[in-house]
Amino acid sequence: MTTVTEKAKGFIQVDKRDAKLALAHIYVAFIALFIGGLCGLLQVLVRSGQFTLPWGITYYQILTVHGVLLGLILTTYFIFGFQIAAVSRTAGTLTDKQRSIGWIGFWTMTAGTVAASIMVLLNEASVLYTFYAPLQAHWIFYVGMALVVVGSWIGGIAQIMKYVEWRKANPGQPSPLITFMVVVNLAMWIICSLGVAVEVVFQLIPWSLGWVDKIDVLLSRTLFWYFGHPLVYFWLLPAYMVWYVVIPKIIGGKIFSDALARLSFMLFLIFSIPVGFHHQLTEPGIDSFWKYLQVVLTMMVVIPSLLTAFSLFASFEIRGRELGAKGVFGWFKKLPWKDARFVVPFIGMAAFIPAGAGGIINASHQMNQIIHNTIWVTGHFHLTLATTVVLTFFGAAYWLIPHLTGRILTKQMNHLAIIQAIVWTVGMSIMSGAMHIVGLFGAPRRSDFSTYGGSEQAADWIPYQIAQAVGGTILFIGIILVLYIVAHLLWFAPKGKTEFPIGEVSEHAEKTPMVLENWKIWLTICILLILFAYTIPVIDMIQNAPPGSKGYKLW
Amino acid sequence: MSKKQEKEPELKGTLYSVLFIGTFILVTWFMAFYLFIDRF
Ligand SMILES: [Cu+2]
Repeated sequence: MTTVTEKAKGFIQVDKRDAKLALAHIYVAFIALFIGGLCGLLQVLVRSGQFTLPWGITYYQILTVHGVLLGLILTTYFIFGFQIAAVSRTAGTLTDKQRSIGWIGFWTMTAGTVAASIMVLLNEASVLYTFYAPLQAHWIFYVGMALVVVGSWIGGIAQIMKYVEWRKANPGQPSPLITFMVVVNLAMWIICSLGVAVEVVFQLIPWSLGWVDKIDVLLSRTLFWYFGHPLVYFWLLPAYMVWYVVIPKIIGGKIFSDALARLSFMLFLIFSIPVGFHHQLTEPGIDSFWKYLQVVLTMMVVIPSLLTAFSLFASFEIRGRELGAKGVFGWFKKLPWKDARFVVPFIGMAAFIPAGAGGIINASHQMNQIIHNTIWVTGHFHLTLATTVVLTFFGAAYWLIPHLTGRILTKQMNHLAIIQAIVWTVGMSIMSGAMHIVGLFGAPRRSDFSTYGGSEQAADWIPYQIAQAVGGTILFIGIILVLYIVAHLLWFAPKGKTEFPIGEVSEHAEKTPMVLENWKIWLTICILLILFAYTIPVIDMIQNAPPGSKGYKLW
Repeated sequence: MSKKQEKEPELKGTLYSVLFIGTFILVTWFMAFYLFIDRF
């Protein structure tokens, strides 16, 4: 860690009013991390068989809190805080109107979050973060969720408006890379969340209010997963923004290629949505041809993923060689291994190698049967979301928060941040590793502790559940550490200027072709692929609908 | 755009790294595949 503060004079600073809006989102994100993380700890303790919850709290209640707060709230709020700051930093300060829209979005989402949380805490909505029918929550829970989605559209529009304004003011020029990436992510988010909005507004709310008796479960799950897979990419793309744009600057290098970065984002946009069936591969009522087609589209995501890996390695290698590295892998040692802003997201990148490999196995049509509804899946998304994405967000928070609060990350905090990431890696390796292995032995996900009537097979799972409790406890220590660092950066760190690192494009890179920023082309492809992948199977689902189901409260 | 340099950057390590990831994906996939064949 050298001269982060000394060089600060020339830095472009995010406007104070925009910083306030971004910070409001970040506050909510870290409150969610604390409560959701605490519930995660309680869960692994319960599943070890050594602990029972006090005061009539149920397992499925804390499981719902954990999933909703960490999967939906922490992510969306941190992403919006980061994106607002990134747009303001690179496309210019928001106008008053844009900022007001941003605040309306924030308060709409927050009202929804509070409403949904209250219903979960009252044990009226222990339906897990996927809120699958026919489990039926209180209608206020669904309304809360709808408000979160609508609020995110409003807040997202504020960011898009800034981009549109920039493009108008700079005709014929490619927009700032990270602002462009923000808009790709928002386009994907708006298109996919229409699915969950339709599910909530037209199916779940009328049904939970008793206006209709029965719900079409297959259709509701299809609408959910039309949203649910791109949701994963909505989490992941901001991490990719950090990797593509921020990390090259932190290591003192350059962005390998602007065009390659834009191309891979556009490929993520078109291949992330028409693929929801890979979460429904064991479901009856969907013709196997359409499952196969969506499996093929899912596998296309390998292309932008490997493009990303290539681009990142290239940035690292070129920089290492500039610093005098020799041999094939000498550059690896030249990376800034003492800078938390690099090390923490780097561990996230490394975790994405097994996470991505696992994802390909999950999506491989019939092979999904090996792992379907086992705790392998939980282990999988604790590598993707809870390691790759979350560690990248932590690494970003270590410069983003002090940039916004006008403080600095001290040497001690930088050191503690690296320790935090190591604690996280150890805890997650144990927890997620145990989940992957015991999942292959058939241990179910989502379930409370049980000996299954003294079953011998279930008894074999228990040592792994204890390992999960050990890993989960270490992870909770990791949460305490990161909250300590964040609190320091928010209120106690020394005043000073911290850079918002934005990389420059390498002089070797080709000029970016404007076709990569032609929304008409890419959105058309995106929508055509969605129509292609979903129209016929959804018509089939509606015409040959299964009998509807009444609601169940099994908790 | 600045004048393009004659020499392309050396990216051998990058090539091997990406090949490693590709190989890792294939190996784990085939492990799962044979487990599947074994069970079903
Ligand atoms: Cu998916």
